[in-house]
Amino acid sequence: MLTALIIDDEAPSREELKTLLAAAADIEVLGECANAIEGLSAIRRLRPDVVFLDIQMPRVSGLEMVGMIDASALPQIVFVTAYDEHALQAFEEHAADYLLKPIDPQRLARTLDWLRSGVRRSGTAFPGSAEKLRQVPCFGRNRIFLLPLDEVEFVHTDIAGVQVVGKERQGTTELSLKILQERSSLIRCHRQFLVNLDQIAEIELLDNGAAEIVTRSGRRVPVSRRHLREMKDRLLIP
Amino acid sequence: MMLDEINHLELIGSLMQQMCVYLVIAYLLSKTPLFAPLMQVTVRLPGRLVCYLVFSGFCVMGTYLGFQIEGAIANTRAIGAVLGGLLGGPVVGLAVGLTGGLHRYSLGGFTDAACAVSTTAEGVIGGCLHLYLLRSQRADRLLSPTLAFWTTLGAELLQMLIILLMARPFDQAARLVAHIVLPMTLTNAVGAALFMRLILDRRETLEKYSIAFSAKALRIAERSVGVLLQGFNEHNCKRMASVIQEETGVGAVAITDSEKLLGFVGIGADHHLPGTPIASPHTRHAIERNEVVYADGATLPYCCSLSKDCKLGSCLVIPLRDEANHVFGTIKLYEPKRKLFSSLNRTLGEGIARLLSNQVLAGRIEEQKRLLAQSEIKLLQAQINPHFLFNALNTLAAVIRRDPEAARQLVQYLSTFFRKSLKRVGNEATLGDEIEHVDAYLRIEQARFADRLDVQYAVPADLRRLRLPAFSLQPIIENAIKYGIAQMLEAGTIRISAQRQEGVLTIVVEDSAGLYRPTPGGEGLGMNLVDRRIKIRYGAAYGIEVSCERDCWTRVAIRLPVEEELAPC
Repeated sequence: MLTALIIDDEAPSREELKTLLAAAADIEVLGECANAIEGLSAIRRLRPDVVFLDIQMPRVSGLEMVGMIDASALPQIVFVTAYDEHALQAFEEHAADYLLKPIDPQRLARTLDWLRSGVRRSGTAFPGSAEKLRQVPCFGRNRIFLLPLDEVEFVHTDIAGVQVVGKERQGTTELSLKILQERSSLIRCHRQFLVNLDQIAEIELLDNGAAEIVTRSGRRVPVSRRHLREMKDRLLIP
Repeated sequence: MMLDEINHLELIGSLMQQMCVYLVIAYLLSKTPLFAPLMQVTVRLPGRLVCYLVFSGFCVMGTYLGFQIEGAIANTRAIGAVLGGLLGGPVVGLAVGLTGGLHRYSLGGFTDAACAVSTTAEGVIGGCLHLYLLRSQRADRLLSPTLAFWTTLGAELLQMLIILLMARPFDQAARLVAHIVLPMTLTNAVGAALFMRLILDRRETLEKYSIAFSAKALRIAERSVGVLLQGFNEHNCKRMASVIQEETGVGAVAITDSEKLLGFVGIGADHHLPGTPIASPHTRHAIERNEVVYADGATLPYCCSLSKDCKLGSCLVIPLRDEANHVFGTIKLYEPKRKLFSSLNRTLGEGIARLLSNQVLAGRIEEQKRLLAQSEIKLLQAQINPHFLFNALNTLAAVIRRDPEAARQLVQYLSTFFRKSLKRVGNEATLGDEIEHVDAYLRIEQARFADRLDVQYAVPADLRRLRLPAFSLQPIIENAIKYGIAQMLEAGTIRISAQRQEGVLTIVVEDSAGLYRPTPGGEGLGMNLVDRRIKIRYGAAYGIEVSCERDCWTRVAIRLPVEEELAPC
């Protein structure tokens, strides 16, 4: 049994794929999403074995989305695209396979056979050379939005998840601290905090050897002893 | 002549006669180019040199034309000296006076030294007055005959004084002065005033002439603006030729390219037919040698090469040249046998040839720009976006399964869209056609995006028949989908509206995404082409304007002059 998730911004496309997958008895479609941001959340929640992922989607493309997922949590990815100029790049992004729209049922059957065989073509660590993130997809109050990275002051984890705090907006993201640290210029300053160096107004040194950062908008971010040294080096503070 | 024999009236009479000869010579001279520098107050060296030479000449002539009275000479020398100073300044005045004075001195007589000194003084007086008026910003007064009269009168009185002071024996000098003071001061003063009047008249005539000339040239330029921009062909050449013929008043005007006659207006139009090959040897000569040919009918005979009965008797052929100085045609001005070519029309003809050449060249550049913009758009039109095509087919595949009737409808829209996109005939379409085209496109996109796309139209029915360059709307709509709606996480709206106001048709395409970036990396290619084509066709006041409220809306306004549909399609 394989569990699958469909992420595509076009309803007829999702519908078609769902119909085609219904023909295979051992494939269970766990859900469908209309954009990459919902997709990130669903992958985390549903833990599907395979994701059928459209490439052209609003704001965050399928390719960008893959780069936002921890390698360890990455399901098998099958890119689905209407036009194949992205195919080559899709393979570079370690996709399991790719399908062209309109989907040929026989071609889909081959993909499914291959998925059932359990050989993972992807799932290895993502290359460090992957492009830097430009924006962080966030859930705010009743709204999905993209926060540009240079607006982000700091990111921290709490019970609700990963919180991204900007000067004016803040929200929860599906991206892990690890991915954010790897794919952006945010710096780890605490086990639970990443900070944007460009947004630091001052650093207050505390008696116990730790410190506290005051951001430009006046928010306070803790710096652990362990990370203070590294921070100072990055800021060229002796 | 002895003093006793002198009758005052007789002396005035003969001096006046002398002055008349003097003025006739001045008049004749005024017709020569030598006079040109004298007609304006000049500060440049060549002008002053001419001034010196001319007035020194008049000084000497004044002395020669004078007649002897007992060893002295009654004369009109003062005119030259005073006017030389007035028009040329102190240095010229001094030089003229000195030249005239020394010449007088060389002739001898008991007043020789006194005359030499006084003539020099007269020149200097004129010069000082010149300097004074120039300094007090009243240079225009220098050419006033009244001023010349009074200055010369004063200068002559001074001369008499100098004769009394210098010439010896005194009693002889006193007698001489008593006799000649009235005739000489009067004659010289009147002469100077008349001479000045002559210069003024000459100047006014020239001004009138050049005003008439420039007015004519300007009127031709004005009336011919843009005529040849639309192409160097028979229709435009005929229009151009008739403008030139009306304005110059020559017998006939012809415009040719390098092989055949393109336009002919005026006498002989019955047998000089546009479209016929060039027959005249003069024209062929002008084209081959790249030079102006003037067959005036006398030195170079002109004979119509088409008809023996042709009334045209002289012809001026001026080549039209391109930027590489190659001849691409000629303009020909004709006069009938009984009439002579005026020099004005010859000069004007050459000016017109330059005007025509420039217009034709500018027209060629415009045409090339227009063709380029047109072919770029055509290329864009022919390149149906593969994303659109495959997405449409994918949508269709899904819809067939669910709703065959809706799928059939989609196929209909798809074929409408392709038919309109592939249609190559004609560069113009009605707004209605354009709306139909984008509507087919939007219907397919609506099926693809399902609930995510809403389309609203606000195009009044009476505007749908207005004409605009074909394929102006589609690239804009495509952008609104691709960089607007397709990038929205929520549902979006595209609103298409049109309105006419004061002869301007404005079509507005608004999307609710508000994601437009002013410097898109090639995103706006189609939009830029549409904008450029409109600007080339209708001018910089028209074209595309984009405004954007971040995350709220992007508004693309297409402004066009209203073109009514001429015939029902």
